[in-house]
Amino acid sequence: MIRTLASRFLGYAILIFFALVFLYPFVIQIANSFKTEANAAANPLSPIPSPFTDDSLTRIFEGTGFPTWLGNSVLVTVVVTVGRVLFGSMAGYALSRLQFRGRKALFAGLIAAMAVPPVVLLIPKFLVLNQLGLYNSYAGLIVPLLADATGVFVMKQFFDSVPVSVEEAARIDGAGVLRTFWSVVLPMAKPALITLTILMFTGSWNEFPHTLVAVQDPSLFTLPRGLADLVSGSLGSGTQYPLKLGAALLATIPVAIIFVVFQRYFVRDASAGADKG
Amino acid sequence: MNGLRGAALAAVLAGSLVAASACGSGFDDNGSTTTQQSAGPADLKILIASSGPAETKAVQDAAAQWATTSGSKATVTPAQDIVQQLGQALAGSTPPDVFYVDAARFADYASVGALEPYAQSMPGVEAFLPNLKQSFTYQDKLYCVPKDTSTLALQINTDLWQKAGLTDADIPTSWEQLRSAAQKIKAKGITPLAIGDTRDRVGAFLVQAGGYWVSPDGKQATADSPQNVEALTYVQGLLKDGLAKYPKAMDAGWAGEAFGKGKAAMAIEGNWIKGALEADFPNIKYTVKELPAGPKGKGTLSFTQCWGIAAKSQFKQQAVAFVQSMTSADQQLAFSKAFGVMPSRQDAQATYQQQNPDDAAFVAGAQYAQGPVNAPKMDSVLADLDTGLQGLQTADPKAVLQRFDKNAKSALGG
Amino acid sequence: MPRGIRGRGIRGNERAAGWLFVAPAVMILGLFMLLPILMALFVSFTRWNGQGSPFTGSVPFAGVDNYTRLFTDDGLTRHDFMTSIRNNAYYVFMVVPIQTVLALGLALVVNKRRGFFRTAFYFPSVTSSVAISVVFLFLFANGGAINAILAVFGVRGPQWFSDPRGLVHLIVGDPPAFLVEHSVFGLTWWDWLSGPSVAMCAIITLVVWTTSGTFMVMFLAALQNVPVQLEEAGRIDGATRWQLLRHVILPQLRPTTFLVVTLGLIGTWQVFDQIYVMSQGNPAKTTLTPAFLSYRTAFRDFDYGAGAAISFVLFLIIVLLTLLQRRLTRERD
Repeated sequence: MIRTLASRFLGYAILIFFALVFLYPFVIQIANSFKTEANAAANPLSPIPSPFTDDSLTRIFEGTGFPTWLGNSVLVTVVVTVGRVLFGSMAGYALSRLQFRGRKALFAGLIAAMAVPPVVLLIPKFLVLNQLGLYNSYAGLIVPLLADATGVFVMKQFFDSVPVSVEEAARIDGAGVLRTFWSVVLPMAKPALITLTILMFTGSWNEFPHTLVAVQDPSLFTLPRGLADLVSGSLGSGTQYPLKLGAALLATIPVAIIFVVFQRYFVRDASAGADKG
Repeated sequence: MNGLRGAALAAVLAGSLVAASACGSGFDDNGSTTTQQSAGPADLKILIASSGPAETKAVQDAAAQWATTSGSKATVTPAQDIVQQLGQALAGSTPPDVFYVDAARFADYASVGALEPYAQSMPGVEAFLPNLKQSFTYQDKLYCVPKDTSTLALQINTDLWQKAGLTDADIPTSWEQLRSAAQKIKAKGITPLAIGDTRDRVGAFLVQAGGYWVSPDGKQATADSPQNVEALTYVQGLLKDGLAKYPKAMDAGWAGEAFGKGKAAMAIEGNWIKGALEADFPNIKYTVKELPAGPKGKGTLSFTQCWGIAAKSQFKQQAVAFVQSMTSADQQLAFSKAFGVMPSRQDAQATYQQQNPDDAAFVAGAQYAQGPVNAPKMDSVLADLDTGLQGLQTADPKAVLQRFDKNAKSALGG
Repeated sequence: MPRGIRGRGIRGNERAAGWLFVAPAVMILGLFMLLPILMALFVSFTRWNGQGSPFTGSVPFAGVDNYTRLFTDDGLTRHDFMTSIRNNAYYVFMVVPIQTVLALGLALVVNKRRGFFRTAFYFPSVTSSVAISVVFLFLFANGGAINAILAVFGVRGPQWFSDPRGLVHLIVGDPPAFLVEHSVFGLTWWDWLSGPSVAMCAIITLVVWTTSGTFMVMFLAALQNVPVQLEEAGRIDGATRWQLLRHVILPQLRPTTFLVVTLGLIGTWQVFDQIYVMSQGNPAKTTLTPAFLSYRTAFRDFDYGAGAAISFVLFLIIVLLTLLQRRLTRERD
């Protein structure tokens, strides 16, 4: 009895320790965003800002390009998420259900595309954006992100796991492929679509390397790009940790909200990855 | 059968993609001379490598004023990393019309044809200091006019100086005195000296010892010499004994920040520190002295940048007008006031000295200053040298110098 | 479903519809993945300096020079490249085992206790790499939180992001002469054996912290599939918890562990964002990685050929790891 109590206690001690390790950095981030620079440097660990100041927030909105970055991030994320979900489910459906020439080759290509590491595409993407005249434009920022191999794959796996009977019934009723897809298949795929939407939302909201080679005009920066520039800071602008932490905090909030609200979908998507191999 | 069909499909797809992309090439394949020029009001994009908010604001204000009088638009953007940003912009054929070009990077841009050699025929070009113009001459062509100049000097925090029990008599004029003053400051628990961990700061000691990274004509690597070894060994001694620290070791982005925060009693920085301290740390009391002399006498480094105009700009004529306005004697003096650099024009120098008696040390330094290494393809070699200097505290000075020579030889030779 | 029911018309319809449905995804992936790779492959055989188009006759052809510079020519390019390979290798050796063990441990402690803790451990993995790097820059500042905690235990924390000393160098001290005298690929044995630098350790900590949550969830999913009867049978036999873990649970988790390790191997060779934001390869190039080096070589040094060549070598490393993973997975099944 005592033994189980002790081990229970130990178990919780470990849990609480790790919870601190994983969450306290965020507490520090929030607290230091509202500290003065001197206070942040002197008491980095303290969770309570004293004195409390929202000076850094004011400077984020008035002294940096933050409002522009935020606007661009929202635009890019919305368009990219819609694009990826739509194109991903269309292609996933076709690869799973429709009989057409080259389907197998396309699927093999898709598997290969998933293995292409994004970081080796930095120079290649820059070259192609230049060649197409899209460099340093909204089109260059958005269009290359509109489709994503993983999204197609996830949707194909989903459709593979759903019985065909409902669609077949619709088809017999004389509905065309497009009609069936739009009014029968998509509504049925709602859970998968939600998962995919969340996955793609966080992915495009956090996207950084692509913006590095797609644009260079500060008016086209998204949040991660603007933040990265803010941090590498020009000579003389100082460390300004409250400002940087505050900007990073604001950039994290949307994802945090989505995460808390749609938690169970996140977990599902990560474990979906476990079946991939 | 299937695999074959797949391969064929991929080939067809790739081929059609290449064809598609060829139609819409965004690259400007024409030579620089044929870039379409637009007359009348221009929309100038200006990229600057700002030393801080003071400089950014001053340039933005001046540009705004030029814009209202000329009827053109002028947008000034401070770059976080101008080399990277400019590199992408030039490759993307979307360069800013006007941009700062550092003397150390100048030859790279000139050699690939990215710069318009407007300065040759710019009215009033005679007024600029000849040695600065030399920094922006490539293959006997003057490409751009120097925007200003600055030199390194020693800044001393007078409060900390007194706290360490030091007086004006202790202001170091030699390496030995610098060391002994530093020891006294350290004894009081204060970091004596903040010095940037790059060739652009440490290099001053080489000059004081009678050496330098490259030969005077800039064509040969001369780092591995007894003078340079002596200089680096001296700096290494300061670092090892905690008499000098690199800014990062003090949680600062640069030496001026550490100095401004009172984390170090002395700093070795250039004219720009004045504007930065005024903006960020207005309460600090300090004085500026010439750098202590080494075994071979006084030595410092000078820096300069020019107003480059892109060969691919559509508004070259307006850009030249803009540069003329930015480099007028009055405007240069206004910039001096705003962020502390020295004018690059002879006709503005005298007024500058009158207006800024505190800058005597910087002005004096200009007399014996060594200019930057100025040859194409040296950037990665110099960056590697900086890496060596970052690790100077534990490295073998001779090895650092030999490595530079080896790398520089292949860059300069090739 | 009997095939005969579908009429010819529907089948014909399907063919066109199939291509119509995949067209957007195929076009985008083709234009912005396949085509750019081919273009960069071409550039890696040229000396394009970033002026004008690389696809004209005026760009000098370099043959395989850009590749030989990485491996055989004694120069700065090879030195930097090999340094980046070394750094990344140490990074992989540290991150992969630590994150795998940590993820497994976390999964075991939160298993059957859902809710709060699970969320807490998983949250860092969904945040932006750039934003989280900013937080860790602050935590690892010289006067920052980590050093403040170390100070509580009487340890004087290092100057994290300005300390280029390798861990092995720190432990061993002065190099034995025979290690310094000989070099391979431009680095001495002593340089190769440096261990990750102090600065790299800060980045390693960050990455372990952010990715463990993702892998924890994979382990959790696998734990759910461990048959309850197995555990119960073990318990009836009087097995201790440790024995149960060792002989019943861990063998069941082998496929997932394998997956986590290989995904880790593939992911860790791609580290870029954190390096860009936190260190840019400094101090003393000890956090330089091939991904960042390729970016820097192209966009800072205007050496697009060598930059693209580095990308392709990195690509090859990752593809080999991926193929290995897929092959081993198939064999196991």
